[in-house]
Amino acid sequence: MRSSGPLRYLFEPRAALAATLARWARARQGDDTPPLALQARRIYILPTRTGLVAAALLFLMLLAGMNYSNSLALLLCFLLCGVTLVSMHECHAMLSGLGVLRAEAGNSYAGQLGELQVDLENAQARARSGLQLRCAGCPPSCFELGAGTSQRVTLHYQAGARGRQRIERLELSSTAPLGLFRAWTWLHLPLQAIIYPEPVGDRALPAHGGEPRRTDRRMHVGGEEEWAGLRPLQESDSPRSVAWKVYARGGPLLAAHYDAPAGMQRLLDFELLQELPLERRLSQLARWVLECERLGESYKLRLPQLTLPAGSGDAQQRRCLTALALFRQ
Amino acid sequence: MNARANPAVPSPRLPGITVLLLLGGFIGAALLNAQHTAPWCLPLAVVAVAWRARGLRAPLRLPARYLRIGVALLVTGAVLAGFHTLNGLEAGASLLVGMGALKLAETERPRDWRILAGTALFLLLAACLDGQALWRLPLYAAELWLLCAALYALGAGADAPPVAALLRHAARSLALALPFALLLFVFVPRVSGSFWALPQRHEAYTGLGDEMSPGSISELTQSGEPALRVRFDADLPPAAERYWRGPVLHRFDGYTWRRQPSHVGPVPPVQYQGEAYSYQITLEPNQHHVLIALEMPQAAPQDLPDTYLSSDYQLIEPAPIERALSYRLQSYPQHRTLGALSDAARQLDLQLPADRNPRSVALAHSLRAGAGSDAGFVDAVLDYLRQGGFTYTLEPPLLNLDSVDDLLFRTREGFCGHYASAFVMLMRAGGVPARVVTGYLGGSWNRYGGYLYITQSDAHAWGEVWLDDRGWVRIDPTAVVAPGRLTEGLDQLLPGVGAHGHGLMSAYWITNALQAWQGMNAWWQAKFVGFSLARQLALLDRLGFRQHDLRAFALLLAGGAGIWLAFIAWGMRPRRAAAGDGLSRSWRLLEHKLRHADAPRAAHECTSAYAARVGARLPEWSATLAALARRYARLRYGPPPSAADLVQFRRAVRRLRTPARVRRAR
Repeated sequence: MRSSGPLRYLFEPRAALAATLARWARARQGDDTPPLALQARRIYILPTRTGLVAAALLFLMLLAGMNYSNSLALLLCFLLCGVTLVSMHECHAMLSGLGVLRAEAGNSYAGQLGELQVDLENAQARARSGLQLRCAGCPPSCFELGAGTSQRVTLHYQAGARGRQRIERLELSSTAPLGLFRAWTWLHLPLQAIIYPEPVGDRALPAHGGEPRRTDRRMHVGGEEEWAGLRPLQESDSPRSVAWKVYARGGPLLAAHYDAPAGMQRLLDFELLQELPLERRLSQLARWVLECERLGESYKLRLPQLTLPAGSGDAQQRRCLTALALFRQ
Repeated sequence: MNARANPAVPSPRLPGITVLLLLGGFIGAALLNAQHTAPWCLPLAVVAVAWRARGLRAPLRLPARYLRIGVALLVTGAVLAGFHTLNGLEAGASLLVGMGALKLAETERPRDWRILAGTALFLLLAACLDGQALWRLPLYAAELWLLCAALYALGAGADAPPVAALLRHAARSLALALPFALLLFVFVPRVSGSFWALPQRHEAYTGLGDEMSPGSISELTQSGEPALRVRFDADLPPAAERYWRGPVLHRFDGYTWRRQPSHVGPVPPVQYQGEAYSYQITLEPNQHHVLIALEMPQAAPQDLPDTYLSSDYQLIEPAPIERALSYRLQSYPQHRTLGALSDAARQLDLQLPADRNPRSVALAHSLRAGAGSDAGFVDAVLDYLRQGGFTYTLEPPLLNLDSVDDLLFRTREGFCGHYASAFVMLMRAGGVPARVVTGYLGGSWNRYGGYLYITQSDAHAWGEVWLDDRGWVRIDPTAVVAPGRLTEGLDQLLPGVGAHGHGLMSAYWITNALQAWQGMNAWWQAKFVGFSLARQLALLDRLGFRQHDLRAFALLLAGGAGIWLAFIAWGMRPRRAAAGDGLSRSWRLLEHKLRHADAPRAAHECTSAYAARVGARLPEWSATLAALARRYARLRYGPPPSAADLVQFRRAVRRLRTPARVRRAR
């Protein structure tokens, strides 16, 4: 059950507390614009579960030393307390002064894991170890930064619904060196990704020239398409596209590659899918885009009030998928 | 589940070096506890560690669960059988070693290893509780260092740094923690009293005891163990007056002298005469409840509130003396007891067993009859001892049950215990109340520590007789048998000892080194082991805190900890690596000077492009900057520059004065 207002502390105390904390940290820190160096005041630190157990054991040691009035046992206990506190500072220093040079969000499909890339720099003379960078709800990326090095860290985010998605915050943390404390900071970087529609759908590709194909994709060499050459076989290629003749002559497994003749692009038209609801329509179009790309065919996309010219390749794919992602947003 | 079905551990999840450090830490902790744990503990730990270490090379099959539980029960049973308890230091440490060894048989996850590390730390604590002798300190320190390195390795997880780096890291952390630990050590108030009952230790202490049978002290005299150390505020008393009073023995069964269990009655008043000596004693643990004091202590020490002076002038400490005690006293070697002897006390100190030592009793009667007074009787007995052909020896023959008869009429050899026993027995037989006082005589001066060092070989026994007109008078019969015993140590007196023990001891530097070591030991025992609430309060006084309350401690702790934390934080502050050579640093200085002029140099931007960009912003500087960039490029990529070239370039950069409008922050 979802509730709002103070009552939510009653029903979902953890989540509510986390949300309140997040808002507080956001208001306190403001937005981050790389490049930036992590200031000490935005690094938070708390003992881990292991740290709490260690504290209990230290207390037990103190009691034993007091009980036996044993100076050496007390000194041992206090030394270990000191080492623990030193490790707290070391843990904090793992993050303090760390440089965030650049952050970029890669686009993704709805419901899948997208990639983020963050460039981090350790200008310090001390190595930083046990670092973890994560986006809420995804497994963290673990890495370390040697003294005076920088590194590009790739991590995942959970893509939501189609459209623009802002990745609100990343969490950079470390439990080094003893695992007794966990220091972390929240990064509110300007990370925005475009979430493409999920490429699903069972409709066949429309025929060249705009008519949907009624038959399956059986085609003949030298038929409607022009032979363009041979390329190494990929896993996604169907057995039919294998150039068996080459293989029979003792050559490698190659795929015959065809190009649609000029003026023979496929028209991926929004209007073709009128019977589907909007999101399914867009998903089907996205799938067609990917299929065309896989076949290496030229295609054009027509949406209401927007027609993208024919083409193929990464740029064309990105253009089309972006248009689909942002359609009526 | 059976053992075969258990999955093999394919490889240790932790790096080998982490596992080795942890195993080493555990076996080290078991070794440090070997002295007081059950005899099976160390072998069990060694076997478990060896088995686990083998797993570093080949995959291990962990024993089945029921087997592990069975062995755990067995270990618990063995501890119970050996110590009849699971409480207490010996039993607890044995159990810890056993369970740590068993943990090795199921250690797979990092959590298990953390438990093992915790076990080893607790074993180290148990070792500290077992003994605080100075010579053990380096062992403890090494073990702590090893365990800290193991903890850092454990914290690093799958990619542990090399062992040298781990050890360095651990040493650094421990060094940083030391000031904090000392602060807490000094200012965390020592709560007195026990939170849980301590079982009695089953250890035999050498030293004075509750009883004395002539013959048992011969072992004592061989012992060079420290007994006490005395630091005088001013001068030392003369050697002949260094009688250190300990347990007083009243009850005699013909062979053994024993203490009187209860000390009833008021303390008879004493008239103090002559010079007073103030001193601080550090007393080693012993098994009687008596604090040693220079005769005659004026009052019980104030720093030990429970101690009291008994009617026979013993300083009784109700709690067993299980660790070194430190206390202050004032004594008057010249003194005189006043008042009369109560009937009960007279009866106690005239007690003799019937039908024992008949010849001695007859001798006493005849001597008493010949002497005119009690004092004359004392002199007569001393004359008898002086002229009877008695000799002093540390290796006396055994005596039969009528020990005094045997000594006086057969062996005629003995040491202080023999003569004190015989003298007091003769006194009692002659009707003079008398008792045996045990304690120490003399002591050697340690010039490094500035104190008198008294060992168990200085143990001594003498007699005290009641003379109606003079009160209790100390009579040392050993003095008439072997007069040198009073002024010299045993070593000088006994040629037999010197023959085999002396050649070594007389080497000057060895004596010196021994004394220095004793001095360090004394400092350790007095200042560190004996650190107590009383010392803390004295320290507060010296620091100017008038009020001895928790607030003073809290203030000092908070202040000190705050300073320490600030220091650590300052040490950990982010510092840029001094990357690159001198030339790069010079160029970075230039960029720093120009930091407000334009955007900083991008990573892909070469120096000349940067100079051109900034030069476009600052037209009057463009020529200078371009020249500097050219110079930099020549120094960097041209023929190897000389040191002078580099210095000149740096000077040129330094001389650059950026215009005021650039220096202002944007």
